[in-house]
Amino acid sequence: MMRELHVSLNQTQKVRLQAAFQHLSDIGSQASSGLLVSVSDTIPVNNEDGILKGHGTSERDGQVVATVCGVVERVNKLVYVRALRARYKPEVGDIIVGRVIEIAPKRWKLEINFSQDAVLMLQSMNLPDGIQRRRTAVDELNMRTIFEENDVICAEVRGFQHDGSLHLQARSQKYGKLERGQLLRVPAYLVKRRKQHFHDLEQYGVDLILGCNGFIWVGEHVVPADNEMVEDQESTLKDKEQSYTPLEIRQNICRIANSVRLISALGFAISVDAIIDTAEASKSSNVDIKDMLGAEFYVQTAEREVQKRISLLKKKRG
Amino acid sequence: MVGLSAGERQFIYGGIAQDLRSDGRQRLQFRPISVQTGVIPQANGSARATLGATDVIASIKAELGKPAPLRPDKGKVSIFIDCSPTAAPVFEVGAGIDLSSLIVVEGKVCWDLYIDGLVISSDGNLLDALAAAIKAALSNTGIPKVSVSVGASGEDQPEVDVSDEEFMQFDTSGVPVVVTLTKVGRHYIVDATLEEESQMSSAVSVSVNRHGRVCGLIKRGGTGLDPSVVLDMVSVAKHASETLIAVLDSEIASAEAIDDDDAI
Repeated sequence: MMRELHVSLNQTQKVRLQAAFQHLSDIGSQASSGLLVSVSDTIPVNNEDGILKGHGTSERDGQVVATVCGVVERVNKLVYVRALRARYKPEVGDIIVGRVIEIAPKRWKLEINFSQDAVLMLQSMNLPDGIQRRRTAVDELNMRTIFEENDVICAEVRGFQHDGSLHLQARSQKYGKLERGQLLRVPAYLVKRRKQHFHDLEQYGVDLILGCNGFIWVGEHVVPADNEMVEDQESTLKDKEQSYTPLEIRQNICRIANSVRLISALGFAISVDAIIDTAEASKSSNVDIKDMLGAEFYVQTAEREVQKRISLLKKKRG
Repeated sequence: MVGLSAGERQFIYGGIAQDLRSDGRQRLQFRPISVQTGVIPQANGSARATLGATDVIASIKAELGKPAPLRPDKGKVSIFIDCSPTAAPVFEVGAGIDLSSLIVVEGKVCWDLYIDGLVISSDGNLLDALAAAIKAALSNTGIPKVSVSVGASGEDQPEVDVSDEEFMQFDTSGVPVVVTLTKVGRHYIVDATLEEESQMSSAVSVSVNRHGRVCGLIKRGGTGLDPSVVLDMVSVAKHASETLIAVLDSEIASAEAIDDDDAI
């Protein structure tokens, strides 16, 4: 489902991009000391006794070999390979964005780019009326009024149940249905876990949610609704349908979305700073929103990243 | 099939109404198109076209065959599109190729062109991308020169000698491009993405040649269209095709230049 962006570069742009990537890999090799392996590479363990073989490793002819491409990690006796470009691997507390694909008894099933569908139980989310009580059969029948199929939802990873299924929870006002915006999909490894995944970009009037699973929501800013407002939700929803997102905010949404698309196409880590930086750079150099995905700005962004990392390196040393 | 929530649908409709689509394009703007030629060495000609994230390959294979009895002075062209997981679009481009140029010996031997399209990844607007790829592949195609041994006459099949070195190029100036106009809400857009296509009420694909003449027209989608809207769409498609042809020509030219460099 992940669709790659293709950029056609002319000869000079190709040379510039290659130079930029060369710089980046030079800088990168200084910074990280991790051992990169590909499938069937031997992992040197110096004939230590009692080595524990973790994920992505296997034993062959008395040697530890990698079964995935990635970085070798060691924790005491445990050796494992952290795969690059793998599917999302949930951890408890992760903030994720997902899409409802099925409504089952007392639960919603969500697609979150994990190897299985995540489960959001009716009891692990706040009811629209905000009252804490037991869920009744009526609530169960009215589940579709909360979320229906294809809705985009933001939630938190609660943990794995005993049967191995992944459970989510949405016990706060900040979680819930996302509307009036667009969902972007990027490789999950580009989104790093941080303290903050919800970003209210006030200068743009845009909400940005960087889901740990690589689903990124860019939408119009919504004020967290109070519980009392819920009663006339039906009528406000209808009003909403009459009014489209204002053009200025839509331009900001598209600009931010294209920043995300561009950064993920280049394979750089996606952080809110990088996104705003790219959006501002495109604005200051008068690049049209649609031209942000063109070849020239693609190369420029790569070159700017090189400059940024060089100055960062200088700061560290100086 | 893409599933979109009500909120996202609303966002797409709004964007099209306000002339600012989700990726920042206006209604009548294409995504950047790029063409690579000569991607399949075994074929007589091939090209790969990418339109945003839509990625297709077209290959041309020429074989000697027998002309159809009803049209002894014409060669044959057949098109197969293979798009494994997605719905198959059906279309015909035959009009653009001068079939008479495919004849070797009238009534006896002709070239059969097999045009194969392969959809690698689909992000909407397959028809336009396939047409662009086929156009590029045709311009990349070299048909071997054939010398017919003299003395072959009457009912016998003439003996032919296919040259390995000399090739003749196709004249692809007559091959049309396809512009698909997708109607979403009250407006229509060109080069719809998969998300936008999922919201279409109807789509009109118009194939237009270099002279701005309409070569073919298909309407998809169940919703009815007012005849005046169709006429309107055709003239918009004609207008959009001019820029598309210009972009495609320069892309093909630069791809051929790179291809030649690689060959040397």
